Amino acid sequence: VVNYRVASVYSTPRESPALSRIRNFCIIAHIDHGKSTLADRLIQRCGAVEERDFRDQILDSMDIERERGITIKSNTITLLYQARDGLEYHLNLIDTPGHVDFSHEVRRSLMSCEGALLLVDASQGVEAQTVANMYLALEYDLTLIPVINKIDLPAADVDRVSQEIEEDLGLDASEAVKVSAKLGTGIDDLLEAIVTRLPAPSGDPEAPLRALIFDAQYDAYRGVVLLCRVKEGTLAPGQAIRLMNTQKEYGVEEVGLMKLKRVKAPELQAGAVGYVIANIKTVRDIAIGDTITDAARPAAEPLPGYKEAKPVVFASFYPMSTDEYEDLAKALDKLALNDAALTFEKDSSVALGFGFRCGFLGLLHLDVVQERLKREYDLSLLISAPSVRYRITLKTGEAKLVDNPSLYPDPMTIERAEEPYIKATVLMPERYLGTVMELCRERRGLNSTFHYLSVGRIELISELPLAEVLFDFYDRLKTLTQGYGSFDYEILDYREADLVKVDILVNGERVDALSQLVHREKARQRALHYCERLAETIPRQQFKIAIQGAVGGQIIARTTINPFRKDVTAKCYGGDITRKRKLLEKQKEGKKKMKMVGAVEIPQSAFVAVLKTDDSS
Amino acid sequence: VTAPGLYLHVPFCSRICPYCDFAVRTARPERRERFVEWLLREIELNRGKLLGADTVYFGGGTPSSLAPGQLARILEAIQTHLAVVEGAWIFLEVNPEDVSVEALRAWRGLGVRTLSLGVQSFEDRVLAFLGRRHEREQARRSVRLAREAGFHTVSADLIYGLPGQSPAEWRGDLEEAMRLAPDHISCYQLTVHHGTHFGRQKARGRLQEMSEDQQAELFDFTHRFLAEAGYPGYEASNFARSAEHQSRHNRKYWDHTPYLGLGPSAHSFADNHRWWNCRQLETWEEKLDAGEPPVEASETLGPGELGLETLMLGFRTYAGVDLSRFRVRFGFDLLETSASLVERFKDEGLLFLEGDRLKPTIAGLAIADRLAVSFDLAPLTLSAARS
Repeated sequence: VVNYRVASVYSTPRESPALSRIRNFCIIAHIDHGKSTLADRLIQRCGAVEERDFRDQILDSMDIERERGITIKSNTITLLYQARDGLEYHLNLIDTPGHVDFSHEVRRSLMSCEGALLLVDASQGVEAQTVANMYLALEYDLTLIPVINKIDLPAADVDRVSQEIEEDLGLDASEAVKVSAKLGTGIDDLLEAIVTRLPAPSGDPEAPLRALIFDAQYDAYRGVVLLCRVKEGTLAPGQAIRLMNTQKEYGVEEVGLMKLKRVKAPELQAGAVGYVIANIKTVRDIAIGDTITDAARPAAEPLPGYKEAKPVVFASFYPMSTDEYEDLAKALDKLALNDAALTFEKDSSVALGFGFRCGFLGLLHLDVVQERLKREYDLSLLISAPSVRYRITLKTGEAKLVDNPSLYPDPMTIERAEEPYIKATVLMPERYLGTVMELCRERRGLNSTFHYLSVGRIELISELPLAEVLFDFYDRLKTLTQGYGSFDYEILDYREADLVKVDILVNGERVDALSQLVHREKARQRALHYCERLAETIPRQQFKIAIQGAVGGQIIARTTINPFRKDVTAKCYGGDITRKRKLLEKQKEGKKKMKMVGAVEIPQSAFVAVLKTDDSS
Repeated sequence: VTAPGLYLHVPFCSRICPYCDFAVRTARPERRERFVEWLLREIELNRGKLLGADTVYFGGGTPSSLAPGQLARILEAIQTHLAVVEGAWIFLEVNPEDVSVEALRAWRGLGVRTLSLGVQSFEDRVLAFLGRRHEREQARRSVRLAREAGFHTVSADLIYGLPGQSPAEWRGDLEEAMRLAPDHISCYQLTVHHGTHFGRQKARGRLQEMSEDQQAELFDFTHRFLAEAGYPGYEASNFARSAEHQSRHNRKYWDHTPYLGLGPSAHSFADNHRWWNCRQLETWEEKLDAGEPPVEASETLGPGELGLETLMLGFRTYAGVDLSRFRVRFGFDLLETSASLVERFKDEGLLFLEGDRLKPTIAGLAIADRLAVSFDLAPLTLSAARS
């Protein structure tokens, strides 16, 4: 049954396998259901990595991914599996991020596969992202294998979870493969199920080339490495290719398979998943989701699915010390090489100096970028409150997009303001419905509806302003549902918003970096929160400090910080004046590092504390 | 020109107080005698330096842990080698439990004019908390006896601002002190230092310092109460019945008068130069044994350092900062370079101008360190960079 196709150009013995011996699949799961651990087990079982080179979460190359147990970048690996039928199969596992911020990446990964393992934690059961990801997979016509993971846990309840798979997802639970990725239980059955139950890819290797770019990595020596799925035709070195959406052309230098390391191959044929190096300088030059075709014999139509990843959350990054501005600029440039969704432009604040206004796919994306800047580039940053992008229509009829409070036009000139809304889906046990509905109401949720999934479980759908979700919505949800609620969202549309700009004044001077655009109903609450936080974190000074929240000229919140009342050394004799003076010199040095607003010294810790979003309420 | 001061550090105590961060230790009589020998050596080693001191201060530790004969030998040595002036003002710190009619007579005989008593409190409960060896009655008796013994100035040290101390309790201590009528009182607000027993207690959460606002209220109360009782303050922690009872020695630390400090950890200052001795008794001795000055380190103060010290020390005294002297020493006018700051401090009731002096109010004294760092001394750092 050996059915290798003899390559036309290359006479090497390592040719592409027959389509029937390829399986392209991904693993979709709610966060923490064990996706990376399962990938690790599959990789080990197929011997794709020497035991001594193995480490947990092997597909996650960034430290931050490994530490937090999340996947941010897509990755892929080709596994060689000797199946029970005696044949060797190429199993292409495409690892996808699980978080909603990166759903565009998930889509593209799904588009590159024929099948998906739908992973469900045996104790947690079906959660919001499980459902969302399953619908996505069905949208792309993937064959699903339900996998129940963590069956070794004492809290595992396979029967309940099976019922949820039947009732919440509408899948046949009897087909579910039960595994413990941690212990390696059931992995062989799963590999066999991948071979026998997932369809082989189809596609004509002789047809005009169409390959979907599902991710890109940046290599300091080779430039951009495109990860792609060849749907039709063949990709080979020396070929002139065109990216169909950007219409840019490149010469292919190298193609190959991802086997943790890149392994060169003579070609990639229809059905294959692999990489392409084509002298592309930065990820800015390409678009993830674009279709690669042959420049000489182009396909008529690109593959569907190209959609620009648009940032939805914006925040300004300022270096703690102004001389780090250049370093920040360089670091952002470098990060952007590998992160096409990250946008940034120059910004400046009277209080905080020069910085960048950055755009992100969501709060996790923001957090990840910030963390990488800190960790990989050793930068300490001040980050302004995150904001969504508002659509402002002026009385002149002109429309503007505003994501930076400092660019908010004079309210007198504004005809209408609109804000982005999301469709939020919350899955939870029935008993939390009331409190979660109340949370949605607090957050200006509209058209909340719910329906029962399996017994005792509810899916709540609510239309919420995205801005309301940016502030600790997820944490509140987790608290209110004691960890049982899960959340997923998609962007809906823009709707009219009664918007005001809240300014924070310190001794009458506006701290521009703390200005925020908020809904009028929320203005007082937000202003008071900021004032209180500042009052807690700005140390006493020699004068009284008034902290106010204002909308236009109207003060809507205020707090005060009393001046120092006691700051003198009790004993200053015995002649040891040096030690005391040195303490004061240190204090004076410390003062220099503080941000001066008017005559008030604001330590960076105050900005950090105030701008933290996770525990505001 | 003021004559220099001489400080002699006696590093012994019969017990280490839980708040104390001075160089102190316990020792047997032989050990103390050995110390005296080494101190005499150090005095000799400094022969010819800072001659003509007119104040001599025995501090510690507990100088009263030395026998009068030992003190006498030290006094003799400083006269011989350091030409301490005839009739120099001698200060002696003593603990109430060391006070007896005989001891007082002996100290008087040595020429001691200011006897400073480590009373700390008149409350037994507080004394126990502070780890003191004496009790209320001993404290009272020591002040009475000292007054009867005919010293020029009898001073009592008190500590306040203890965790949980109520204003009424502190007032009780002050009232008791008034009844005993010393000539001088020092009231030190408790500072919990890192590395002390209290410091460790604090780190473990077993000791909670008084809040800043409460401390400030007690500070203000202390200054007002004592002024009304006839003991006007002249420094953040010091009060005297009249100017003649103010400490002539401590004043020297506050206005950059030269001083020589001998004994472990003692500090010296002369000609913009400050140096200090090894803190450890053993190291101090070893160096002396090797014939070296037992100095641990030294620094030369530039105009920036001197300027900051001038403000830091000036604002902790009622006399404040002498602006014309400042102008002469540092070459610029504080009122010109920090005009708006001074105005602001005046408005806030922290500083006031009297003649050519910028003086702190009581509220200003309470934040003297803060006031000092608020001033822009950039003209000084610039001139230092140029020179």
